[in-house]
Amino acid sequence: MAAYAGSALLLFFALCATGLVLSSVFRGRYASLAIAWFGTLCSIVLIAAAAVRLAAGADFHLNLWTLNGFGTLSLHLDALSAIFLFAAGLVYLSCCFFAPDYLSRDGHPAGRYGLLHFALMASVVLILTAGDVLTFLISWECMSILCYLLVNYEQEPEGDSTAGYIMLAMSEAGFLAVLIAFLIAGNAAGGYSFAALRMGAAHLSGAATWGVFLLGFLGFGVKAGLVPLNFWLPRSYTTAPPVFMPVFAGVTLNLGFYGILRLNADLVPGHGIGPGLVALVIGAVTALVGILYATTENDLKTMLAHSSIENAGIIAAGIGAFLVFRNSGNAVPAALALIAALYHLLNHSTYKALLYQGAGHIEAATGTRDMDRLGGLIRSLPALSIVFLAGCLAIAAVPPFNGFVSEWLTLQTFLRSALLPSAAVKIVFALSGAILALTAALAVTCFVKTYAMSFLGTPRSNWESNAEFARRPRFSLTLLAVACVLLGVLPTYVIPALNRAVEPLAGASATASLVPPFFTATQANQQLPPAFLADFHNLGAQTGARWVPGRGLVILLRGGEQNPVVFAMSPSYSVVALTIVLLLSWFITTRLTRRRSLVKNEVWAGGIPTLLPEMTYTATGFSNPVRVVFQAIFRPNIVEDTRETVAVHFRTAIRRRRDETHLVDRLFFHPVGTIVNSVARLLAGMHHGRLNAYVAYVLGFLILILVLYRVG
Amino acid sequence: MTPADSSIANTPKIIPQRYDAQSLAAAIEQRFASAVSPSANGENRFDLALIVTQPEALPSLAQFMFWDAGCSFGGLIVEEREEWILRYVFRIPGDGWIHFILRLPLATRTVPSISAQIHAADWYEREAEDLFGLEFEEHPRLGDFILHDQVWQEGLAPMRKGFDAGQTHLKKRPKEDWHPVLVVQDPGAFAMPVGPVYEGGIGESVHFLLETVGEDVIRAAPRLFYNYRAVEKIAEGKSVLDVLLLAERFSAKSAFAHSLAYCQAVERIFQQVVPLRARSLRVALAELERLRHHAGAIAAICQSTALTVSDAHAAIVEEQLLRASCAFAGHRYLFGLNTPGGLRRDFDAQNCGNLLGTVDTASRQLQKLEERLRYSSSFLDRLEDVGIISQESARDLDLVGPLGRASGLAHDLRRACPYGGYERYRFEVPCEKEGDGFARLRVLFSEAQQSGKLIHQAVESLEPGEICAPVTQPNAGAASGWVEAPIGAAMHWIRLDREQKVERYRILSPSFRNWLGLHVAVEDFAFQDFPIILATFGLSASECDR
Amino acid sequence: MSSWFWHGVRRGIQTTRYPGAPETAAGVSPGRPLPTTFASPEQAFQAASNCPVGAISASKNIASVDLRTCVWCQRCHFGSSNLLNWDEGYEWAQTPATRKDYSGLHSAFGQSLHVMVVDAGDCGACLHEVKQLNNPLYNMHRLGIFLTATPRTADVLLVVGPVSENMRGPLLKTYEAMPEPKRVLAVGTCAITGGIFGKSFMSAGGVGMVLPIDLEVPGDPPPPLAILHGLLVVAGRKKLTTAPTQTREEA
Repeated sequence: MAAYAGSALLLFFALCATGLVLSSVFRGRYASLAIAWFGTLCSIVLIAAAAVRLAAGADFHLNLWTLNGFGTLSLHLDALSAIFLFAAGLVYLSCCFFAPDYLSRDGHPAGRYGLLHFALMASVVLILTAGDVLTFLISWECMSILCYLLVNYEQEPEGDSTAGYIMLAMSEAGFLAVLIAFLIAGNAAGGYSFAALRMGAAHLSGAATWGVFLLGFLGFGVKAGLVPLNFWLPRSYTTAPPVFMPVFAGVTLNLGFYGILRLNADLVPGHGIGPGLVALVIGAVTALVGILYATTENDLKTMLAHSSIENAGIIAAGIGAFLVFRNSGNAVPAALALIAALYHLLNHSTYKALLYQGAGHIEAATGTRDMDRLGGLIRSLPALSIVFLAGCLAIAAVPPFNGFVSEWLTLQTFLRSALLPSAAVKIVFALSGAILALTAALAVTCFVKTYAMSFLGTPRSNWESNAEFARRPRFSLTLLAVACVLLGVLPTYVIPALNRAVEPLAGASATASLVPPFFTATQANQQLPPAFLADFHNLGAQTGARWVPGRGLVILLRGGEQNPVVFAMSPSYSVVALTIVLLLSWFITTRLTRRRSLVKNEVWAGGIPTLLPEMTYTATGFSNPVRVVFQAIFRPNIVEDTRETVAVHFRTAIRRRRDETHLVDRLFFHPVGTIVNSVARLLAGMHHGRLNAYVAYVLGFLILILVLYRVG
Repeated sequence: MTPADSSIANTPKIIPQRYDAQSLAAAIEQRFASAVSPSANGENRFDLALIVTQPEALPSLAQFMFWDAGCSFGGLIVEEREEWILRYVFRIPGDGWIHFILRLPLATRTVPSISAQIHAADWYEREAEDLFGLEFEEHPRLGDFILHDQVWQEGLAPMRKGFDAGQTHLKKRPKEDWHPVLVVQDPGAFAMPVGPVYEGGIGESVHFLLETVGEDVIRAAPRLFYNYRAVEKIAEGKSVLDVLLLAERFSAKSAFAHSLAYCQAVERIFQQVVPLRARSLRVALAELERLRHHAGAIAAICQSTALTVSDAHAAIVEEQLLRASCAFAGHRYLFGLNTPGGLRRDFDAQNCGNLLGTVDTASRQLQKLEERLRYSSSFLDRLEDVGIISQESARDLDLVGPLGRASGLAHDLRRACPYGGYERYRFEVPCEKEGDGFARLRVLFSEAQQSGKLIHQAVESLEPGEICAPVTQPNAGAASGWVEAPIGAAMHWIRLDREQKVERYRILSPSFRNWLGLHVAVEDFAFQDFPIILATFGLSASECDR
Repeated sequence: MSSWFWHGVRRGIQTTRYPGAPETAAGVSPGRPLPTTFASPEQAFQAASNCPVGAISASKNIASVDLRTCVWCQRCHFGSSNLLNWDEGYEWAQTPATRKDYSGLHSAFGQSLHVMVVDAGDCGACLHEVKQLNNPLYNMHRLGIFLTATPRTADVLLVVGPVSENMRGPLLKTYEAMPEPKRVLAVGTCAITGGIFGKSFMSAGGVGMVLPIDLEVPGDPPPPLAILHGLLVVAGRKKLTTAPTQTREEA
């Protein structure tokens, strides 16, 4: 079976290369067809490869070639890679087939795009299946550069390309940090393949482990979007072309987390709980900062960028909790934490890709992304409004969508901190949990605002509806929406799949702890005594055992004798119960009660003739209370506050403008930039152009080398 | 739009010189010799009237009168006879009225605007434009004032002679794409509509557009005249006694005060001398109405802050006074008492004694309520430093009544231009300086106490005598009658023709003046403060709309 | 702050006993003119000519009053000759001239009636009398009558004022926004016939020109108890006992 996974992988590479060649050689329509077909085939093959690997259970390894002095370049597909491959494949599947539609809609030539598109797909898969450091780093660098090229894809020659440039600069800085981390680890291990690093991790000193962790975490944290390294993210997400956005948000963000998990959880696990706490705190802070700026932002794409930062924070907090639990010996909570983090990562890919594609559709249909100017789209784009609603509900963690399951599991993980011995650690966990809960509430606010201001109410500006707006791209959004629903309603099937990656890293099986075998258990086992099983069978936990495969449909964590059930829930049964209740209510109210006539009347607005758009709530007005309450974080500067008058008593215009600098810019980017600038200015003092001085520098440096050589 | 006139924006804070009528007339003649001449027409024998011969001098004349001489602007009266007659009414502090009369041929449609100099004239000119079709040059905003553009077409000019008031099925061509004129230019700003069917329990029909960016009300523009019933138009051609009914009923909460002003105007034309007993009783009834009105205003303020027990206490006082009015005079709102020449009925001593008893109880209860309210810190929190109108703003907008007196403008027509017998009584005019909601509440309480004292003085000084003087000289002509109504200074101006039918009836009501000040008070306060500030203003939409 | 509770309790119960018992305090109602028999037709004719709005009509030696047009100017009450008799009651609600009976609301509304008040050009007095129903002396809450802020939850539309043209649109919108079953109560002479403002280009001449009225309460203004009586009739808790006063056509 493992061989099938491997052949699927190789098939993928073949298809990818073919697609790349075809789309660059052909022009126009044939290039578009090449992108569409080959891209879809590639993503299907990817999903198949991941699924086969998760079902089979054995790793696939392939040595490519051996280089002198660098070791063997190899490919290695294990369960962790398979999960990330699945997420990437799903996102690519949803947007590849219609990439040409998007390109023609936005007016770009297809050939050049195809080249970059397939190259990026190949480099992403190479990163995820790299078996040694060199492959990993080379494909990482290719991925960074390709991302930069794609982010700046739309820019006119005179356009503003600073966003992509900042992203490239930060990527390079992160790459340097990661490179140093790998060098430290490889130095102690004596080889550079992942297997060698794994075995050599035991020889690392404490300080070196900390160094590897920090450099790796922060270096990969750049790509993952963690505070304080994520100031490139909102800028690039806003300027990237809509055709690239789903991949940018759903795939490349995950690569940062893949790197963190691979380096800091798999290869160099570490011993203390310090690294885990660092990750936890950074994750919580990232989540809060992300959602605060998302709630007060009016541009759809920028808002979604900040929301991605928030989700990245939640994933990082989950990873931090996993590290703490594992290194303090609690394997089951560690498994729970890692399951939650991976689940959230998968969910984020689906709903963020959905929302970004929806935002692209909105922009194409109305010409604007500003929520203050949108409104009433539910009438002109009814199908889009349904799937966009699914995406908003999913990201706001509303059951029965997938966001609910992963956020719930994350918060439950934090409650398990009661098992830890140290009170200080428990306090840190409690505070982080509180921050994440606040984040969840703000996320609801943010997406209520997004949906309501864009789709509901009256249109706030006039736009011509784009009649030639293609209908077919709806399939991609529906696919992702259905994926959101399925991931939310069937978690007991997702957890065993994720468990393949979690069990080797955490040391305990999440499936065994979280998904009790109500369907399959005929005799008692260690964890579930027969009395317990019987109780739950009486409650109905065996419902559906005959029709539905699997272990059971309930997620349940068992505590012990005093505490039989720590938590339990079942989205599957809840959805069934909800449907039954809704159908029953509909039946009762329409069939069994008196016939009532329905009168439609317009909105009551105090009797004015029409409710004009300027009389309805704007997005700024909706989120203003959040801005006011968290003023200490936002620190707006009043740039302009003029009152024009014709006569002293007769105002014609009141103009107010507020300028805000992002918190991370204010506290990190600008001070660092100032320091770097001043250091550079100091150093620039050396370059004053006098030839005699330069000769003196050479002489001085020569003397220094001789002295060092003599001493050393 | 012209930029703000720098001379207006930096008006020097000179102390206006104290003029009386003679010295002021002399000063005007000296400065505006070419533009103004005294009126030779004897029809305005009780006021000082000056003809303005050069319309271009009007703005500088207005500037001199309002700022240099410290006069208060009474209003603008427009008449259409063989020519346009525009009458600008000014009140000299402490000494009576000056009318400036501008005569223009009927073909003229434009008049220089004085709203840049006298901001209180802003709405008078907008009203004249809507109702007569006169254009005022350089006025910042004309149109869509009384006749809403969403209902009526432009150019209707209903007050002109050729317009028949009885046409009930007038064809209307409203503006289809009407948009409000919004002032706040913030990108996320919007205007929250409130009313006209007011969602606050029971309120008069006023429409507000509260411009905001989310937390504070940056600007509140009221849109009035939903209650406009064209009283001035339907009065034309009616007899004196019929128009008296209109004068009582256009704003029934100050019915007695307005009917008093009307009767005084008619009495001036007919040269009737009102008997002493009638004058004393008129003072007592007017102060009874003021006391009852202020009790209601206090109840409204308490209700807006949701301190329901104090609202209940003040409402009980008001209801007792309404019942006392009915038991004393036959009608809860004192309809049907005033007539030109005096009152229509007399009151016996027992009736007066009962009235005094109720008034004393009411005054005592209001005093106790005031003491209790002063110790309620949560109540004061909602009123203190909220909805502030500074003394400069109040003078700038020429606010009248308790609203102006709470901001330091100590003007009261009962003191400044005594009428109807007030010169015989001793009373104080309470005045506060802060101009916030609490100052207005204190002024209301103090005035209520003063009213109680005035009722006592009036009733106790009653002497037997006639109650009404007959009409002996049914003259034609024009005159004005003024009164300090509970909301502020009001003036009724009438022109009668030879058959004693009303040719032109003009009402200058105090609410019309004070609504202009609302947007100053509510700027930059939170949404929750808006109903409270509105309640402390104590304004009446029907009195403004007529 | 807590002392407010004691101040309220010490004041005692001030509420009227109506509708349980008639209210007899002085000044609760200005009363209304009644049909009066005079000694001679000339006197009746003199009485009719006292009225400035033509509400009194004389037939033989009986002078009768159309309350729908009466503006309570008191000229037939005092200060003239040939005065009419006045009563002191307050139960004045009547059906509109165009209808003979009133179809009441379902009995479920008897204990819970929600009223939407619209000021359609009112002078302030009728609106103020409606507001007095909330004060402790009348307290209509004890009868289950409440004022609503939005027509969506209202059962009764109480209109005051002659319907100025600027308020015609908002009034119609309010009526249409109310769900069935709904009733319209016109309070005050202005709301019934336009009162002193009559029909003009700015005044519709009564609510009946704009909406179908179910019940009228004449008065200028009607005292709070008359309005309360009208609301109780609408709620089905009181029957219309007084026969409507004779109109001009019947006299």
